Amino acid sequence: MQPLISVSQLVKEYGSGANRFRALNDVALDIHAGQVLVLMGPSGSGKTTLISILGGILSATSGSVRIDGREIVGMPESQRPALRRDLFGFIFQGFNLFPALTAEENVGIMCKLKRVPQPARAAAKLLESVGLADKRNAHPADLSGGQKQRVAIARALAGQPRILLADEPTAALDSVSGRNVLEILSGLARQNNRAVIIVTHDPRVLEFSDRIVTIEDGRISSDELRRHIPPTPGDIA
Amino acid sequence: MSILAWKNLLHDRVRLIVTLTGIVFALVLIAIQFGMFLGFLDTAANIVENNSADLWISAPGIPHVNGGSPIQESKRWKALQVPGVTHTANFAVFFVNWKLPNGAFETCQIAGFDLDSGMGGPWNLVAGRIEDLRGEDTVIIDDLYKTKLGVHNIGETLEINGKRARIVGFTHGIRSFTTAPYVFTSFKNAQNYIPMREHETIFILLRTARGANLPAIRTRLLATIPGIEVFTHDEILLRTRNYWVFGTGAGTTTLMGAMLGLLVGIVVVAQTIYAATIDHLKEFGTLKAMGATNGQIYQVIILQSALAAVMGYVLGISVALAIVGSTANTDLLIKLPWPVALGIFGLTLFMCMSASLLSIRKATTIDPAMVFRG
Ligand SMILES: Nc1ncnc2c1ncn2[C@@H]1O[C@H](COP(=O)(O)OP(=O)(O)OP(=O)(O)O)[C@@H](O)[C@H]1O
Ligand SMILES: [Mg+2]
Repeated sequence: MQPLISVSQLVKEYGSGANRFRALNDVALDIHAGQVLVLMGPSGSGKTTLISILGGILSATSGSVRIDGREIVGMPESQRPALRRDLFGFIFQGFNLFPALTAEENVGIMCKLKRVPQPARAAAKLLESVGLADKRNAHPADLSGGQKQRVAIARALAGQPRILLADEPTAALDSVSGRNVLEILSGLARQNNRAVIIVTHDPRVLEFSDRIVTIEDGRISSDELRRHIPPTPGDIA
Repeated sequence: MSILAWKNLLHDRVRLIVTLTGIVFALVLIAIQFGMFLGFLDTAANIVENNSADLWISAPGIPHVNGGSPIQESKRWKALQVPGVTHTANFAVFFVNWKLPNGAFETCQIAGFDLDSGMGGPWNLVAGRIEDLRGEDTVIIDDLYKTKLGVHNIGETLEINGKRARIVGFTHGIRSFTTAPYVFTSFKNAQNYIPMREHETIFILLRTARGANLPAIRTRLLATIPGIEVFTHDEILLRTRNYWVFGTGAGTTTLMGAMLGLLVGIVVVAQTIYAATIDHLKEFGTLKAMGATNGQIYQVIILQSALAAVMGYVLGISVALAIVGSTANTDLLIKLPWPVALGIFGLTLFMCMSASLLSIRKATTIDPAMVFRG
C-alpha cells in the first residue's frame, strides 16, 4: 500500500551562514490514510516546522516529501497554493477565523476558495456536522473557544481534503471543549479515511490517537503504533 | 472572496469613517476647485463668448477684451469697404464708477453695444426689454449683482461716472471674472459714461458673408487701416480667457487646489487601507495557507479600495453638488457638469486603486508559514 504521505531524509535549515540552524534532521515518516497521528515533543523540537513542510506552506532544505505520490520538495512556489487548496485542511491553535464573517461565512469562503459546488449549502452542512447548526449566524467574537475551534474544523473540512493538519488545536481550550474537539478530529480520520495529524503537548490526545511520533532536536526519537490500522483501498492514490 | 472585502470594510467602523472622510474631503476639494476653474473659464470671457461678431478690430496690443483703448470710429467705413464684410458695429467695454445709494462707489464695466446689429448685447434677460435701451440713460444689469450695486427694481436711477442712469432690465447669470459687474447699455449711451472723445469707439465688430475667408479679410483690413489689430472670435476669446484665468494665477491656483485634493486623498486612503491590510495580515496569511493565491489576496484588497471609492464617491459628490447648488445665485460660478462628475468618479477609483498598491506590495510578502506561529 502506498502511504498518503511519505517523508524521507528530510532536512530543514533556517537562516544562513553563522546563523544557520538545523530544525529538522534526517526525518523519515510514512503516514497512511485513516490514521490519527499525534506529533509530540518538547518546545522547539521542530513539530511546527515538520507539519508546515508536510502542508506545503514551508519549503524543505533537502530530502523528499511525497504527498499522494507527488514530490513537493523543490516544488515551485507558484504550484503550492493549488496543492494546499486541493489536499489539506488546516487547524490552528488560535483558530484564525475571520472576525468580520459569521460562522457560516467563515466556512463558506473556504468552500468557495476550494470551488465546492453550492458553497452556502455545503457550509451549512459542515457546520451541522460539527454540531453548530444553531450558531451559523454568530460571529467568532460571540462564540466560545471550543465553538470557534469547531467552526475552524468545519472550515478545514471544506472540499473534503484528504489530510487534516492541526497545530496545538486544544491548547487554547478548556478540558471539556478540548476533548470534544479531539473527538471530532479523530472521528474524521476514521469515517472518511483521512490522515489526521495533530501536533500537541496535550496528554488527553493520546486516547484518540492511532500513532504517536515523538520528535526531539529535529529527529524522530520514537514512533509508537497504538492500534492496528488495517490499510484501506482509499490509501491508494 | 468578495464577501471578505465587503465585511472587513464594514467591520472596522472607525477606519471606514476615516477612509470615507479622506475620500470625501479629497473629492469635494477636487470637485469644487476644478468646478471653480471651469467657472473661471466660463466667466472670464463670457462677454466675448456671447458676442456674435466674426472679427474684432481694436487698438493694437490690447491684453484682453476688458483692456481696450479708444480708436477712431471712422475706421468702420474703411472696414466696410473690404470685400466679405457685411456689417460693422461699434462696441465698448470700459471700467466705470457706479455710485451706490450710500454714496460709496463700485467699479463696473460698461458694455455699450449697437442695438441695431445686437452684437455684444446682453443674454438671459429675465426682466425688461433690450429695446428699452434705446431710451436715454438706460442700463441693464445682472440680478446676481442687485445687492452689490444697491438697486433692486426696474425704474430705479443712479449715477455712473457722474451721469444719470436708469435700470430698464435684468439678466440672470452674467457674471464678471473681474468682480466689476457688466452694465449693458446702447453704444450711444455708453459714449456718455466712458471718457472717450466723440467719434471714438473701443472695438469695431464685423460680421462677414457666409463662408468668407477670414484670414484674407484680416490681411486686407490690416493693409488698408493703419493702427489696428484684428482678432477672430476665438482669438480674442482665448487671449481674454488666458489673461484672466492663467495670467492672474487664478486658474493655476484652483488647478493646484484640485491636485492637492487628489494628493491628500491618495495619502489618506493609502494610509487607512495600508493600516487595514496590516491589521488583516493574519487573515490573509490564513487564506494563503489554505490555498488562496496572491492574486486572490490582491482581489480582496483591490475590491476593498473599490468599495470604499464607490461609497466615498456617492457621499463626496453629494456634498459637492450641494455646495455647487448653494452658490447658484452668487457671483461665484462653480460648474460640475456630468462628464466632470463622471471623470471625478474615475479619479476616485484611480485614487483608491493607487492607494492600495502599497498594501498589495505588503500582501506579496506574507509568508503563509506565519499561520502556525502564534
Ligand atoms: N522562521 C524561523 N527562523 C529561524 N528559526 C526558526 C524559525 N522557525 C522556527 N525556528 C526554530 O526552529 C526550531 C523548531 O521550531 P518549531 O516551531 O518547529 O518548534 P515546535 O516543536 O513547534 O515548538 P513549540 O512546541 O514551542 O511550538 C526552534 O529552535 C525554532 O527556534
Ligand atoms: Mg510549534
